[in-house]
Amino acid sequence: MKVPDERDDVLLRRAAKGDESAFLALYRRHQGSLYRYALRMTGSLWAAEEIVQEVFMTLIRQPKKYDSERGEVGAFLFGVTRNRVMKHLERAPREVPLNPQTNSGTAHEPVDLLTPAFWAERKERIEQVRDAVLSLPAEFREAVVLCELEELSYEEAAQKSGCPIGTIRSRLHRGRALLMARLELLRDAPRRASAGGTD
Amino acid sequence: MVLSMNCEEFESIGLDAVSGKTTLSERTAALEHAEKCVKCAALVDSWESARAELVMFAEATETTQAPARVQMRLLQELRAQKRPHELYRRTGMIASWGLAAAALIVVGITWMNWRKGAEHPLVVKNSRALTASKSTSAEQAALVTDEDSGSFTPLPGALPIANEDDSIYQVRMQRASLSALGLPVSGESAADWVNVDLLVSDDGTPQGVRLHQDASDSGTL
Repeated sequence: MKVPDERDDVLLRRAAKGDESAFLALYRRHQGSLYRYALRMTGSLWAAEEIVQEVFMTLIRQPKKYDSERGEVGAFLFGVTRNRVMKHLERAPREVPLNPQTNSGTAHEPVDLLTPAFWAERKERIEQVRDAVLSLPAEFREAVVLCELEELSYEEAAQKSGCPIGTIRSRLHRGRALLMARLELLRDAPRRASAGGTD
Repeated sequence: MVLSMNCEEFESIGLDAVSGKTTLSERTAALEHAEKCVKCAALVDSWESARAELVMFAEATETTQAPARVQMRLLQELRAQKRPHELYRRTGMIASWGLAAAALIVVGITWMNWRKGAEHPLVVKNSRALTASKSTSAEQAALVTDEDSGSFTPLPGALPIANEDDSIYQVRMQRASLSALGLPVSGESAADWVNVDLLVSDDGTPQGVRLHQDASDSGTL
């Protein structure tokens, strides 16, 4: 059965009839980007996993929710994911993960060619950046995630967020400013701590 | 043409320009301004560091995938959804075949009845009457009732199945009037008066006729 080149809406129609290969093709095509978006927005592996699962469950249980006249399947899936993410953030705005989380276990770590100290420092820095991104208000965070991490254009980010380009620009501007301040603070913190320790 | 940029403009689009998200001339203008302005140069430095760290964070998560268990759960759900669909499909198929078979049987029976009706328009049940009929008029079909069973002789064009809502009317009429119901009447007895039971359907259409004992004694209409 040929699947890889088929269009999303064709795959969705087949999946709605119970075609597993079509569903898997659709899932594999979109789950990565949706999961990364959810993870970067929530900062929680558990939440990202739940959100992606719910999104595709919706597709299985109510495939007719997708209206081809309103856009592509990918855009529909992103819209559902975004709604779930926003609901999650509203529900648990101050939720703090119990365990420090870095990247997922399924991510591929680069080959360790340099010293372990370098990688330890890098890992720590990545966690700081993650914390800094997560500390941003949701709408600024979304602009940063879409434009800086996903590297989408303003037009694409505006389309995905369902707001005008000017709004995205403004959110990104403020998000960047907050992020820079936060990262400066985190960068200086060890220095301040070590300076305080020597006094 | 190289544009010149002030601090306010730089604050607005400078970081985009430095990141290469604007036109080349805007980027050049932004970099030139940053060279001259210490405050904006500090902003560029800060942003460059932040951007490098964002890129590092993005790279660390760019190959991240949902765990395999999500796919497994989704497939289970898909199979669970599929099962009732198959059951409905199978039941639907059986039901439609059953309906088609029933329709065929009904059509067959109707056709057979129709054929039967076409071959024998009048039902002759009483052999005694049939004999009498033959004796009086060979070409006329006999129309008599079966006194033993009390059944009606159906009129031409009437439905073969009697309805519960049908009514019986006792009528005294001349035999000649029966010809109006499509029944053959012999010329000699046309003026005779007979007692007749008329079976009339609920819409008022005569469905059958039954001669009373005294009338049927004569044998024919």
